[in-house]
Amino acid sequence: MINQPIVSVSGLRKTYGGKNEKQYEALKGIDFNVEQGEFVGIMGASGSGKTTLLNMLATLDQPTSGKVMINSQDVTTLKGDKIADFRANEIGFIFQDFNLLETLTAEENIALPLSLQGVKKSAINQAVTAVAETLSIQDLLKKYPTELSGGQKQRVAAARGIVHKPALLLGDEPTGALDSNSARELLELLTDINQKQNVSVLLVTHDPFSASFCNRILFIKDGVIGQEIRRNGVSRTEFYQDILEKLGTFEQ
Amino acid sequence: MLSRLALSNIKNRLRDYIVLLTGLVMSSAIFYMFANLATNESFIKSNTTFRFAVPVFYFGEVLLVIITLVYVMYANSFLLNMRLHDYGLFMMLGAKKRRVGTLMVFETLVVGAIATAIGLLLGIGLTGGLSKLLFSHLGIALHHFNPFYFKAVLTTIVLYLVLFIIAAIFNLQSLIRTPVLKLLKQNDTVNKIKAHGIGLYFAGIFGVILIGIGYYALAQIATFQLTSIPIALVTIVLGSYLIFHSSMILIIERLKKSNWARRKLNNFTLSQIMFRVQDYTKILTITSLLFALALGAITVGSAFNRQIDSLAKSNSSYTIAINNPTAKEQGLIEQLSDRTVVKYDQKFSGNHVIYNEDQFAQHPYKIVETTQSKSGTMNTYKNVPVSVSKLKKEVSSQFDFVSLGGSVLDTAPKFYATNDFNKINAKKGSVSLITVKSIAENRTVLEKLNHLQLKAYPTMDETGIGAGTFPAFLMISGIYGGLEFIGYFLGIAFLAMLASCLMFKILSGTQQDRIRYNLLTKVGTRRSLLNQSINREIFVLFALPGILGIIDVLFGLQMFKSFFNNNPYQNIQYPIIIFVVLYLLYYFLTTWLYKLIVLPKKK
Repeated sequence: MINQPIVSVSGLRKTYGGKNEKQYEALKGIDFNVEQGEFVGIMGASGSGKTTLLNMLATLDQPTSGKVMINSQDVTTLKGDKIADFRANEIGFIFQDFNLLETLTAEENIALPLSLQGVKKSAINQAVTAVAETLSIQDLLKKYPTELSGGQKQRVAAARGIVHKPALLLGDEPTGALDSNSARELLELLTDINQKQNVSVLLVTHDPFSASFCNRILFIKDGVIGQEIRRNGVSRTEFYQDILEKLGTFEQ
Repeated sequence: MLSRLALSNIKNRLRDYIVLLTGLVMSSAIFYMFANLATNESFIKSNTTFRFAVPVFYFGEVLLVIITLVYVMYANSFLLNMRLHDYGLFMMLGAKKRRVGTLMVFETLVVGAIATAIGLLLGIGLTGGLSKLLFSHLGIALHHFNPFYFKAVLTTIVLYLVLFIIAAIFNLQSLIRTPVLKLLKQNDTVNKIKAHGIGLYFAGIFGVILIGIGYYALAQIATFQLTSIPIALVTIVLGSYLIFHSSMILIIERLKKSNWARRKLNNFTLSQIMFRVQDYTKILTITSLLFALALGAITVGSAFNRQIDSLAKSNSSYTIAINNPTAKEQGLIEQLSDRTVVKYDQKFSGNHVIYNEDQFAQHPYKIVETTQSKSGTMNTYKNVPVSVSKLKKEVSSQFDFVSLGGSVLDTAPKFYATNDFNKINAKKGSVSLITVKSIAENRTVLEKLNHLQLKAYPTMDETGIGAGTFPAFLMISGIYGGLEFIGYFLGIAFLAMLASCLMFKILSGTQQDRIRYNLLTKVGTRRSLLNQSINREIFVLFALPGILGIIDVLFGLQMFKSFFNNNPYQNIQYPIIIFVVLYLLYYFLTTWLYKLIVLPKKK
């Protein structure tokens, strides 16, 4: 069981456009695995297909062909309520634009995934307090999103992403709307979550700085995975240089 | 170029535009319905009983114009919300503010013109349908009433034109004042709720006191006379506003702390309601008042209907008198249900009518006795038999008895014992007094009988009404039926207006809600849960003014206590049921439209 990958993608294709429309192939056969506890980054320029790939992983979109296994479950065959339940149980999200519900307080936002699963109130409170402590956002719990700064919002969003202990945490450019300090803090936080809570993280980004926090990076270009680099224990600054170098040659 | 952009935008957001148009069409259709009655002078003047209702119409008209204004403003903010981003984009691309402003005014007016045109057609149809339905239900015919009435058409067009021009100017103002960046990035800020515990309690209690004063003023209308109406209006409006404001926040805060709130989407639903109620308190207050007015109009209208029966019963002890029934009339009499028939022989000598007094001893003639209830508000009518001597002395000269003579009206009829009666050599005749339990059930047969009698004995015609409760029933229902018609008509128009108003307010918030529901879907909320949450949220928003409105009516009817000498609350459940059904239809329409806009398409 331990060797079972958390995410296993094979032969993934996605073609847009109906029968009589112009066809556009966004993904042209993608294969990769994410092992349990890994921190993987997917990098690519705009239009490379990384958002399409993320949508498939998040079960927000259906592939044209191929398989996506998450936690040993083929998510491409799920339908209706099953998709919703799968997302609620197995996946945590962090979006670029936070996507917090502004009618709910931070605490209520964080509690939402647990409420959806029907967890008891006492257990919810316990989990929310615990996760707030981990992320040092205890003071923000009673506030509404409009009263929070971007960095604080993203911390709350991260808390909501991991409160239900998902198998996989998906990040879609989570630092995209943050200043450099907040971005660094968030990425350190994600690393922390990854290491201490043993949550597998998959980050989609085009920012080399964000990517330098990962263990492994997949470069995607024109719908296929072109290259892959591993950190292999080097320091983050060195890895950052590696990424910049790779990007330089890869995007040529 | 810009107008082409505007057109393509309509194509892209057809769904939103359909919602916008539906709402505006409903509004103009309803306004036309009302204007048709209110502006039709020959209709109001030809029905003498309506004359006293003219101020009611003026009041109603002013109210409706105000509501329509609010309504058009909502519709407009819906339109503006939808377009702000595009306008910002146009300006960013270098379009002059004036150009964009012209485009916006043009768009607003085009939407208004289309809505008014369709609304007028629908209004004419609705007026025709509703009036036909009411006429057949009430069994009345009104003259000078026509679903198509030119003056009403003109009034509707002028009003909507003016309203949309005002709306366009408002739009223009907000467009000019808002910087381009803000147009592009519509703020999604939500006001934080300021829940001052003690302040809220205080406001709530103050609201209850105000409403209490209002209701007291209405109940004591006999003492305060006309001043009680403005007092009640001000106190009830202010009171219900405060009650809405404080009680909802307090209740929701309490609920949010419960275990229930942490289950599924309950917390989200509660928060949505909370923010809505904050934002909606004004509209909810207006809605509850309108609800009360509408329900009041229908209730009073149907109370008039009950008056018809009891007033008619006060008139005579028997339903109809038939002189010398022919075979055909006899056949009709046989068709009456639950009937009692008493036949008296008559002889006619010159201008005198002669009766056999032994027949009256055997089957006593009955008169109506009125008893007032202790409070003096309720009259009950009982038919009591009279002795022959009393009949001879008093009763025989009363109209009810005199008219039994058919064409010979003798105010001093003679009575003889059987032997003497038989000896009299004069023209023979008879009169049958028929009593039925329910006039409504036997209405058509009775109408035929009445018609045949009026033709055979034309004197009755001159007096206007014949003897018996049925002719009185016909006359009174002619008067009160018209009032009832107005009651129902206004009630339904008000209701439709208020429900569309509420519907619009709810729908105008969909732009922000769409994002929320989309997010909930992303984090894995089942669609059934989303549906449930929406159903509940909108249900609460509909139920609140409804409940307060019903309470308003229950107290408001006190005002009519002296007016209806019977109980104004009798049978109140029927108008309430009609009302709840119509209201529910609106609820379902609103949730359907709301979901259409807000929920992401199914995959």
